[in-house]
Amino acid sequence: MDFMPHLVVVPVVLPLIAAALLILLGEKRRRARVLVNIGATLAGLLAALAILWQVDSGGEPAAIGVYLAANWEAPFGIVLVADRLSALMLVLAGIVGLFAAVYAEAAWARGGMYFHPLFQLQLMGLNGAFLTGDLFNLFVFFEVMLAASYGLQLHGSGWPRVRSGLHYIAVNLLASSLFLIGLAVLYGVMGTLSMADIAAKLASVPGSDRGMLHAGAAILAVAFLIKAAAWPLNAWLVPAYTAASAPVAALFAVMTKVGVYILVRLWTLLFSDGPSMNFGSDVLLYAGLATIAFGVLGLMATLRPGRIAGYSILVSSGTLLAALGMGNAAVTSAALFYMLSATMAVSVLFLFVELVGRIGKDGQPDLVGVDDEPSEDTNLDDEELPLVGQAFPISLALLGLGFIAAGLLVAGLPPFSGFIAKVSLLQAVLAIQPGDKASDVASQSAAFWIVGLVLFAGLATMVSLARTGIRHFWSTGGRLTSQVKIVEGASVLGLLFACALLTVFAEPVLRYTNAAAADLHAPQPYVNTVLATRPRPGPTRSVYVEEEAP
Amino acid sequence: MEVLLALVIGVFGGAGVWLVLRPRTFQVVMGLTLLSYAVNLFIFSVGGLFLDKPPLVTPGLPTDLEHYTDPLPQALVLTAIVIGFATTALFLVVLLASRGLSGTDHVDGARDES
Amino acid sequence: MPIVTLLLLPFIGSLVTALLPTRARTVLAGFAGLISAAAAIWVLSLFPQVQNGGVITETIQWIPSLGLDLVFRIDGFAWMFGVLVTVIGALVCLYARYYMSPEDPVARFYAYFLAFMGAMLGVVFSGNLIQLVIFWELTSLISFLLIGYWYHRKDAQRGARMSLAVTGAGGLALLGGVIVLGHIVGSYELEAVLASGDLVREHALYPVALLLVLAGALTKSAQFPFHFWLPRAMAAPTPVSAYLHSATMVKAGVFLLGRLWPVMANTELWFWLVSTAGMTTLLIGAYIAMFQHDLKRVLAYSTVSHLGLITLLFGLNSQFAAVAGVFHIMNHATFKASLFMAAGVVDHETGTRDVRRLNGLFRFMPHTATLALVASAAMAGVPLLNGFLSKEMFFAETVFMSSYPWVEIALPVLATLAAIFAVVYSLRFGYDIFFGPPSTDLPRQPQEAPRWMRIPIEFLVIVCLIVGIVPGISIGPSLAAAALPVVGGELPEYSLVVWHGFTPPLIMSLVAIVGGVIGYFWLGKYQARGEFQNPVLVWRLNGRRLFERTLINATRLSRRALRLVSTRRLQPQMFAIVLVTVLLAALATSGAPFEWGDREQLPPSTAFLMFWIIGMVCAIGAGVMAKFHRLVAITLMGGAGLVTALTFARFSAPDLALTQLVVEVVTTILLLLGLRWLPKRLKSAAFPTRPRDRFRRGRDLVLAVLAGGGLSALSYAMLTRPAPYSISPFFLDHALPQGGGSNVINVILVDFRSFDTLGEITVLGAVALTIFALLRRFRPAAESIEPPKQQRYLAPDVVTDLVKPRTAEEAGRGYMLVPSVIARLLLPFAFLVAAHYFMRGHNEPGGGFVAGLIVAIAFLAQYIVSGTRWVEGRARLHPPRWIAVGLLLAVLTGLGAIAFGYPFLTTHTAHATLPLIGEVHLPSALFFDLGVFAVVVGATLLILIALAHQSIRAHRPPVRALMPPRKTESR
Repeated sequence: MDFMPHLVVVPVVLPLIAAALLILLGEKRRRARVLVNIGATLAGLLAALAILWQVDSGGEPAAIGVYLAANWEAPFGIVLVADRLSALMLVLAGIVGLFAAVYAEAAWARGGMYFHPLFQLQLMGLNGAFLTGDLFNLFVFFEVMLAASYGLQLHGSGWPRVRSGLHYIAVNLLASSLFLIGLAVLYGVMGTLSMADIAAKLASVPGSDRGMLHAGAAILAVAFLIKAAAWPLNAWLVPAYTAASAPVAALFAVMTKVGVYILVRLWTLLFSDGPSMNFGSDVLLYAGLATIAFGVLGLMATLRPGRIAGYSILVSSGTLLAALGMGNAAVTSAALFYMLSATMAVSVLFLFVELVGRIGKDGQPDLVGVDDEPSEDTNLDDEELPLVGQAFPISLALLGLGFIAAGLLVAGLPPFSGFIAKVSLLQAVLAIQPGDKASDVASQSAAFWIVGLVLFAGLATMVSLARTGIRHFWSTGGRLTSQVKIVEGASVLGLLFACALLTVFAEPVLRYTNAAAADLHAPQPYVNTVLATRPRPGPTRSVYVEEEAP
Repeated sequence: MEVLLALVIGVFGGAGVWLVLRPRTFQVVMGLTLLSYAVNLFIFSVGGLFLDKPPLVTPGLPTDLEHYTDPLPQALVLTAIVIGFATTALFLVVLLASRGLSGTDHVDGARDES
Repeated sequence: MPIVTLLLLPFIGSLVTALLPTRARTVLAGFAGLISAAAAIWVLSLFPQVQNGGVITETIQWIPSLGLDLVFRIDGFAWMFGVLVTVIGALVCLYARYYMSPEDPVARFYAYFLAFMGAMLGVVFSGNLIQLVIFWELTSLISFLLIGYWYHRKDAQRGARMSLAVTGAGGLALLGGVIVLGHIVGSYELEAVLASGDLVREHALYPVALLLVLAGALTKSAQFPFHFWLPRAMAAPTPVSAYLHSATMVKAGVFLLGRLWPVMANTELWFWLVSTAGMTTLLIGAYIAMFQHDLKRVLAYSTVSHLGLITLLFGLNSQFAAVAGVFHIMNHATFKASLFMAAGVVDHETGTRDVRRLNGLFRFMPHTATLALVASAAMAGVPLLNGFLSKEMFFAETVFMSSYPWVEIALPVLATLAAIFAVVYSLRFGYDIFFGPPSTDLPRQPQEAPRWMRIPIEFLVIVCLIVGIVPGISIGPSLAAAALPVVGGELPEYSLVVWHGFTPPLIMSLVAIVGGVIGYFWLGKYQARGEFQNPVLVWRLNGRRLFERTLINATRLSRRALRLVSTRRLQPQMFAIVLVTVLLAALATSGAPFEWGDREQLPPSTAFLMFWIIGMVCAIGAGVMAKFHRLVAITLMGGAGLVTALTFARFSAPDLALTQLVVEVVTTILLLLGLRWLPKRLKSAAFPTRPRDRFRRGRDLVLAVLAGGGLSALSYAMLTRPAPYSISPFFLDHALPQGGGSNVINVILVDFRSFDTLGEITVLGAVALTIFALLRRFRPAAESIEPPKQQRYLAPDVVTDLVKPRTAEEAGRGYMLVPSVIARLLLPFAFLVAAHYFMRGHNEPGGGFVAGLIVAIAFLAQYIVSGTRWVEGRARLHPPRWIAVGLLLAVLTGLGAIAFGYPFLTTHTAHATLPLIGEVHLPSALFFDLGVFAVVVGATLLILIALAHQSIRAHRPPVRALMPPRKTESR
């Protein structure tokens, strides 16, 4: 496995160094800070792409990249593991992060202190969480991610941010405690922390300990479900995200997916077969369905674009959880594609929310020339008002088109990637035969629930977005122009372009997600590769490499 | 002894939960601190209780869990303590900010509502 | 040239028009017209390939793994639609040039228009059902934009939104149906689907698929009960109505019915669903149309009814009827488009569309009038016009079809009734406005429309005539080609001649015409008296109001539901989290055995018993006191912390004890600093505890007890099980030989799991930065800005020997002189102790973290006793730099390993001989630990200094009030 020796660790170390430099640069030298920030983010994205390419080049199963931090092998040391899923998540985080960073330079980066370093640390946390193969190290990276996210969420201060931030932090601190408890229980039962090792030893856990094991897993799952914003643990999300500044909210769209990612990773690793097969899959399924329903309610209830974006995050999380709960490789693959599309879509929507918010709120419709004498060749309607349209300012027109595109993406309407994702998901869900899933859920009925809810969610999104679109673009009579800075426009277009690429090249991406899902549902190679990787022998290591070798 | 420690952990945790459910920000921060004590003790207890078998390698003693207590949970607790400290500090400051902005110490920033 | 170019042509055209000057209507119209004309010619030229069953297919790979490729498939049926779309499109382009006013930004209009044409072509040429859905939804979207072209008008906004909601919803249903269909057939390719009709009709999921597909088709074609959006869509400019709402978009629904006819038709379910919907719509549409006063409304409802007729024909499960349906699609498109244009002319020239105000226009615009009359005659089904023929076929079907007896009776009767209605509203449209005394009070002096504005109408009317008079040679071949794919296989017997002899259908037609004329005058008499202004009986069931109400109610209900299942308050959230955890844990355990282990336990020691009891008391006390006696609570909390530390110390975890102790100190200082800014809260001032609160507290208490109990159960189970298999011996083994340290904990932290430590200090740094950034903006609450009265108080009679009394700027030179001197003396010793702990960390309890905290505390002591200004006046410590440098140091140490070719953070030990000290070994872990040290110092100082600075800032008056608009936010 010819992995560039240290490639895997780059997405973690690079942002950290960047952050340290950014702190040193201080509040002066803005240009330099911008350069470092965007440069580092871009480099991170490139590294992620390189990792993706390397992993995928391995064929079937993927060339899993294992990196022994501190040169101690699993399960004793901490390993970073890059498989197809991790690589995919890295790229996703990189793309969204890059455009969020660019967008932020328009204004938000100057909205308070230490935006740049915190931004980098957030990326570090995300990447670390996607890469690490060690449960406790995962906790640490969660905390890095969250600590940075607290700062970013509160960035710009102000009452709404602080209020929602207080709730956000409190909830997450509680979640962290749960994380630690669950983790401790797992360690107590298994005596190890490496995910791969846990998966390997799971079969050998004596029956008397299984109760403990499941309790620990359940407690751990709650912590992740909170991050993944599953109902009823998600009331914090919408206020916190809508209060946050636009680029931050866009980045947070990825952060929500971390919870989903971990659930996918651990669940497939531990429970896709073996003694506790399909443990808790029903809970995931029903939590997912409930979350979609909750998101739909929110979509129907709200008129504010920011909240619409927030609730559509919930819808996507719910869809992913439900899909995972189906415990079926094809569905998982579709879900991964859906995650890509939905995440980018919501991010771009969050950016649009701010831009759209700049043009007038619900202004009164102005009926032009109600009293002046209609000229020749004017035609009137039955209220004898002249039927003359009004031109949109070009910027507003572009903004409108972009908004429509974002809306289509979020609602999963044609012709964009959201639609493809939806089609593939529904197709896969319907394709499940009753026998496919060993758990006692009547998956057929569950399948129809998913189909119905997903379609209905699309409708709700479309209607409420149309409503806000009309309020912001049409009811203002087009008099108000909106000023959009170049960088903002660029980043928004960039994200939309990424989605367009996802649409055009859906086939290769789907092939990739198929492979990723296949790897996930057959985790043995992953486990073996991780545990088989030996540290690089050297002056101090040579002693035991032989003696440890099985 | 074990049963007692379990009891202590339970009481710390229970008191923490109770406080976390209270409406005043200060109560919540207290609760989180208590909860972190409980959690740290819990992680620590996973390694089992041993009298004077500190994980300090002394030459000659066979290196196994008979003669040393399990070092890993202790290392985890150490990290957990630090992170807990940091986040507690953060929460404290945020609650001060909230109190400064809203003029009350209610978790929702609402004046009334006990 | 490939078909895809034909499809791209309109889209490219739309892009170009968007870039052309927005008000150059001649240029735009010309360009758009050329594009559509070119497309039209292209489509027409394809006829030889599609007649008698030929099919043009073209595939572009897109997403094979989803069975979703771009397939363009043109058979006779699709071709016929293609012709309608392009030809009428070209005509409307020309017409719109004169309809739109010079001030109109027509670029947008034509851009949308062409895009719509492309989407519509996409629908009819799709050879893949998913692809069809894609274009289907595109038509919904673009029609939304077209209807909203005059977006500043409320009715336009309403109509646009309604049509989007209804047709979009239908589209989603259709998507579901198509996916189910694909699931049944195993492919979305139209070819395959058409081939497997029996399979589909037998399948268990057939009803589901059918319902969903019909939901799509009926909404699009404005069939009852979804008909209401079409009249609302009349807010669109008349050219749009002429194009979308007569010829193309609304036809998409019936197109789908025809497309899937070979697959889904010929079942009971199909018959009942489709024909019922069709019949109802036919009647209701025609009936309501009679009572409309707005020209376009009349046409809209008549369109609804004609679409109902087509739907009915497809629903009758007879091939003959299906052919009739196809035929009527063509005819209706021609005469209805021309009628809409005529209505547009009238509206344009007179300034109103109110039938009641329009009279005797014939003398002003004879040319237009003639055209309109002919067209409306066609609509009424007068012989020698195309409308007559398809209606005849319909009548014939109703008469000769064999079904349930009562159906055989009812169908002809209802058909005739509908025809009578049709005659009535046709007369209202034609006769009413063009004859009778000329109306005087028109907004504008009516006159003949411009020459070129009439051309499109003339063209269509002539088509109506030709088809009506010599159907066989004119339309025959096209109809055959178009109908063949629908009926599948071979065509049924039908003859396209005007005169079939004196047959029942003819009688029905005559009855309809006569009855219609009578009905018209009868109705006119009443309406002249101001009665029957609204459609009697049915005008209450107003689809629009129903729709609006559903939307509003949906919003209201979901708001209410949301309030039930969500919250904006913190407490319920926390409660939910804890509750869910307890429940899930219990659920998970219930499945498998959960039992205590039987490891031999430690003998209880009374001393520790006491300690722990104290600890528990402290914890509970803190829980009770935290509301009203914060200081007490903090003290008790400290007690609990102390007990924790002692537990660690007792049970062989010296490192933990040490760390816990130091952290305890810092946390306490922190809390004390924070206390200063919290509001006074006295028991007396507390609100009376309502029963609600008492209940909530009881509930929380129960939950807390449960959670605590669960935790103890878990930990007891943990403590009593035999020592589990653990990876730990490895650490014990390798700590000294490879880690180079005998303190395993420390080796784990800086070597085995140094990656954790790196993350940990990152967290510390991030939090510190956050706090600093936040407090920069923070202003304390107004009432707590004053220094507390204990500080202000100075008894008048007191004789102080202090250098300065309490009013001192710098406490360090004032009343805190003595302690501050001591603190300063302590500083170097603190450093020494820190150094000691740092150096020995690798082998004994201690390490960078502890050392860092000790230094931080030492500095804090200075701040506390000497005051912020005094310290910062002398020592400028830049905590952020400490953090940055520390992080860099740690990372670079890690990267150093890479330089040696080892993974990140691999430790190395260098042996150096220093003078005096002699041979020492410097593990790289030492530098890593140094980094930890620096970060800890920096972070801790940053946090506490940031807090301390508040008191300085507090004395300055706040720059601006930060009190938020709480009311608006909290609701």
